[in-house]
Amino acid sequence: MNRRGFLALGCACGALLRPGLSRGDGAGWKPPPRFARPDIASDEGGLWALMDREETRLRRSPFRIKDRGLNDYIQGIACRLGGEHCPDIRVYLVRTPWFNASMAPNGMMQVWSGLMLRADNEAQLAAVLGHEIGHYLARHSVDQLRDAKSRTAFASVLGVVPGVGALAGLGVLGAGFSYTRDHEREADRIGVMLMNKAGYDASEAAKVWDNLLLELEARPGGNPSKNGFFASHPPAEERQSALAELARTMPGGTTNADIWREKTNAFRREWLEDEVKRGQREESVALLTRKIAAEPEQPDYLYFRGEVHRLRAGEGDYDAALADYEAASLEAGAPPELWRGMGTVYRARREIPEARASYRSYLDAAPKAPDAPMIKSYLEELGQ
Amino acid sequence: MRKYILVPCFLWLAGCATPPTPVKPDSGEQLVGDRLTVTLDGSWNHIYIPGQAAEHWTMEGLPIDDLQIYSGIKDGQAMQPVARGSSATPAVFHSTMQPDEIVSLFESMLTRDGSTFQLVKSEPATFGGAKGYHFEFKVVRKVDSVELSGVGYGAVSNGELFSIVYIAPRMTFFGRYQARVENIAQGARIKGI
Repeated sequence: MNRRGFLALGCACGALLRPGLSRGDGAGWKPPPRFARPDIASDEGGLWALMDREETRLRRSPFRIKDRGLNDYIQGIACRLGGEHCPDIRVYLVRTPWFNASMAPNGMMQVWSGLMLRADNEAQLAAVLGHEIGHYLARHSVDQLRDAKSRTAFASVLGVVPGVGALAGLGVLGAGFSYTRDHEREADRIGVMLMNKAGYDASEAAKVWDNLLLELEARPGGNPSKNGFFASHPPAEERQSALAELARTMPGGTTNADIWREKTNAFRREWLEDEVKRGQREESVALLTRKIAAEPEQPDYLYFRGEVHRLRAGEGDYDAALADYEAASLEAGAPPELWRGMGTVYRARREIPEARASYRSYLDAAPKAPDAPMIKSYLEELGQ
Repeated sequence: MRKYILVPCFLWLAGCATPPTPVKPDSGEQLVGDRLTVTLDGSWNHIYIPGQAAEHWTMEGLPIDDLQIYSGIKDGQAMQPVARGSSATPAVFHSTMQPDEIVSLFESMLTRDGSTFQLVKSEPATFGGAKGYHFEFKVVRKVDSVELSGVGYGAVSNGELFSIVYIAPRMTFFGRYQARVENIAQGARIKGI
């Protein structure tokens, strides 16, 4: 087994590619006691050692979100879920615009910014973290390591699958395909139980899938779980309905939506910029439309949906972009870049007075922007 | 010799259908595409990658430093191939794009993998004898967390895009070759202007 394979196996990764949850298996599970570090000479000890090295690399990564307040907050959520395992769970927030979290057998947990952007509240993030902690507590990665060794089938887990890398990268891919359906069902079951025990509204777990389905269905060609390579996995719909059914047996709980918004507010714009750069226009429109419906007065969502429409530039997109820019401009704290976007659209339509006015507004709002010299040159071309 | 072997291997592993061909052009005037002429004050390794709209030149070998030269990119032409199976929108040049939109196009190409991009400066400039743009930027590359600096020049002439973009690690390499790249940009000429 090569190093990359070992790493992919060690990282138990998030919900996007995971199969469904069977009903009726939500009871009778008790968390195990804290795990002792395995003997380095054992297969599990080797896996831990490799994960330790990866953790050192992750700790130094420039993509790590180092904000103390946000880290403490997310670590606190993981601790609420992990209970007595809290001292062994180390959360790292990573600036990566895809939906994912992962947990290694040594307790290293990664939470990607794309997941935090998509979560509507604390309970939804807890649903994904609880699932990952479920894999950790049930030691699925160790099971898989031994299973892969015995079957020498690991090459299939590691195969480079064209196009899938765009979803999340090899680590996600490897881990996404490294668990069995039974493991996923068990992790889902444990995750929902941990949510409930921690006082979260367990029904939010199914909503994570509702939301993800909206994006998947918006893709050109539709939901990838229904075709091609993903066909061997149960569709997301199945998982969503199974989670919803399980949650009905655990009513009550909190979502902590307001706290979630307050804690993530300072990062939203950066995460949205990264989302637009993924170049997945239809998915981004679906995501932003959902966010706007929930928070219609949040100008960031309006501005970035306007950007996606402008960049897509299909039929009706310029009109939609202008509508979003204008709606954003009416809200306090709107990004100044919306004026540049408006200028670009108006100029493309040869509506010169409107383009001039928009560019001027941009320069007024962001006189020291790095592209201010360029925008000034536009005004000279268009006539003051 | 080592880099002649490593560069094709890297690019081949990165997904190219066939290994690229390294050539080391001589110093002096070079024609890139049909209409762009540049003058070199030293030899660059010239990497031909099938399917790429740009020529890739390098001093140290890819992926250390990369001088991308776009010559005569036509309206509607994709700037880079889209990975098989990807649903990402391809980066496509349109002749009606304003300079900031072209800069944004380069940004989108550099960040598809989750790399971060920070625009340092974007301003009007002359390139190849045409009115165009100059921009500077910083990137943190996702695949290896290397911090990179970059500079770009370009212009649209007769509806076609001509541009050079140089990107290299901020430590050591960018500064080592920046002046050479600036000279290439200043000496570039677009035929038919």
